[in-house]
Amino acid sequence: MASKQTILIIDDEPDTVTYFSSVLEDNGYATVTARNGAEAIERVKQARPDLITLDITMPETSGVRCYRDLRETEAWRTIPVIIITGVSGDFRTFISSRKHVPPPDGYLGKPVDAAELLGLVRKLLPA
Amino acid sequence: MDLPYRHYFEAMPCYVTVQDRDFRVITANRRFGEAFGDHRGRYCYQVYKHRAEKCEVCPVEQTFRDGQVHSSEERVTCLDRTEVSVIVYTEPIRDEHGHITAVMEMSTDVTDIKRLQHQLRDSQAHYRTLFEEVPCFISIQDRDLNIVDANRSHRETFGDFLGCKCYEIYKHQSEECLPCTVRETFEDGRLHVHEEVVTSRDGRAINVLVHTTPIIGASGRVDRVMEMSADITEIRRLESQLSSIGLLVGSISHGIKGLLNGLNGGTYLVNKGLAANDPARVAKGWEIVQRNVERIRSMVLDILYYAKDREPDWKPLSAAAIVQEVAEAMCDKAADLGLEFTQEVQADAGMIEADEKAIRAMLVNLAENAIDACRLDKAKASHRVVVRASDGGPVVRFEVEDNGIGMEQETREKAFSLFFSSKGSEGTGLGLFVANKIATAHGGTIQIVSTVGEGTRFLVSIPRTRPPHPDPRTADIAPGTH
Repeated sequence: MASKQTILIIDDEPDTVTYFSSVLEDNGYATVTARNGAEAIERVKQARPDLITLDITMPETSGVRCYRDLRETEAWRTIPVIIITGVSGDFRTFISSRKHVPPPDGYLGKPVDAAELLGLVRKLLPA
Repeated sequence: MDLPYRHYFEAMPCYVTVQDRDFRVITANRRFGEAFGDHRGRYCYQVYKHRAEKCEVCPVEQTFRDGQVHSSEERVTCLDRTEVSVIVYTEPIRDEHGHITAVMEMSTDVTDIKRLQHQLRDSQAHYRTLFEEVPCFISIQDRDLNIVDANRSHRETFGDFLGCKCYEIYKHQSEECLPCTVRETFEDGRLHVHEEVVTSRDGRAINVLVHTTPIIGASGRVDRVMEMSADITEIRRLESQLSSIGLLVGSISHGIKGLLNGLNGGTYLVNKGLAANDPARVAKGWEIVQRNVERIRSMVLDILYYAKDREPDWKPLSAAAIVQEVAEAMCDKAADLGLEFTQEVQADAGMIEADEKAIRAMLVNLAENAIDACRLDKAKASHRVVVRASDGGPVVRFEVEDNGIGMEQETREKAFSLFFSSKGSEGTGLGLFVANKIATAHGGTIQIVSTVGEGTRFLVSIPRTRPPHPDPRTADIAPGTH
């Protein structure tokens, strides 16, 4: 049996982290978590995830900054990233950064439906 | 009487007479004859003023007496009874021995000039009344930004400080504002408009909409600038309620989406746990559901509280306990930024009758402001914020002190204005506004003591009992909008 694909969940809200990790683990994925942008970069270095879900509004290093760091690093550039945020304005901020970085692979607005999350993950990570 | 240069005498564009010592008109020019008729055998005062006796003050008499030129301003009456204003000049005529034998009187018709002078005076009086009584603050400034004139409203609000710099009067600061629209109007000769917060002589912050307009002098260049400021404090106050609600809705919308996401997580775990007969999973999911329901409940209460559907929740509150609670909540945030956050609480600080949520929101806003002031200060190696509570007799004293960047006088005076922030894009201009509103709604006050580069102390006094009739304009208090 092939080893599980790993998904990094980056969100400062513990209940959201529990939710996403439960949904993903129930469906055969391994998860690692981070609660801010700085911690996320450490996890990427350690765990080499196959996909990342990224919140935008977080304390300290924001999701936008974290995304730029991911895209500007050669080794991490191809990891699919799903932006998940509660503020549509956040997404606009994010989009405005597109002149510097490529667009994200997927976008979900909170509240997130479990099937919707799973569908997008499966699309971006074919078995 | 035979006069040399008779031709010029006749042609002079004024009334000319020659009179003897009895003020009898010996001769006169043509213009005089046309206006006053035949002079022969008549006296000056008869011809000019239809009087029976000579005038009390007579320039001809004075010239006979001292041989000097004299002048006066008179009203005279023509043949057709029209009154004419004249300026009179008298000149002695001497014989070969130097004795004065007659006096020449030249009277220039200045009726039109007089009429224009009156019109000008009336017009000036009207404009002055308009300038004085218009319901806005008007000042006229020179190129050095000195106030050279100001209207009544301006004098009453800011004081009678003619000759002082505008920025000293409006903002109590020692340097001119950047940008300065008066300066811009001097440079480009155009009208400029901007909004500003100024301070009255009694320390009241006033929102003003300022128009600056050039005053062009005789040379064709801008000599002065008129600055007209409309007081829009009341408009801004009304707007602030709507704007605050708008901002509040924006921020809670984000929060609610997060909470709904948490609820989704909780129900997912409950459903999966029930399906798999896994009580531990059900319990974990239910805990998440309960937590998020409680947070939504609290948030909805805050919104209702702001929207005035919920009366302030007056109840006895321990000053020491609320400060300890706030200090504990802020400790982690301060520690993350490398700041020391401490509390100094008098055990006998006592109780107050207050709205607990509002007082907590006020202290949190002040503490967050203090943390920001430290975070922005790059000059000191270490920073600290201290929150205090002490007994002040009929009031409880709260204090929030930091050793951050400190505030200029202007920043202090505007600190409680809605949407004023000295933190650039990092500040919302809401936190201190809300804090002050909460203090006022409790019948209390907030004072700011600050030194630039050294730090700031917010001194809050809250009466121990609720105000009998809270000011309805300030009774709506908005906790948690920082």
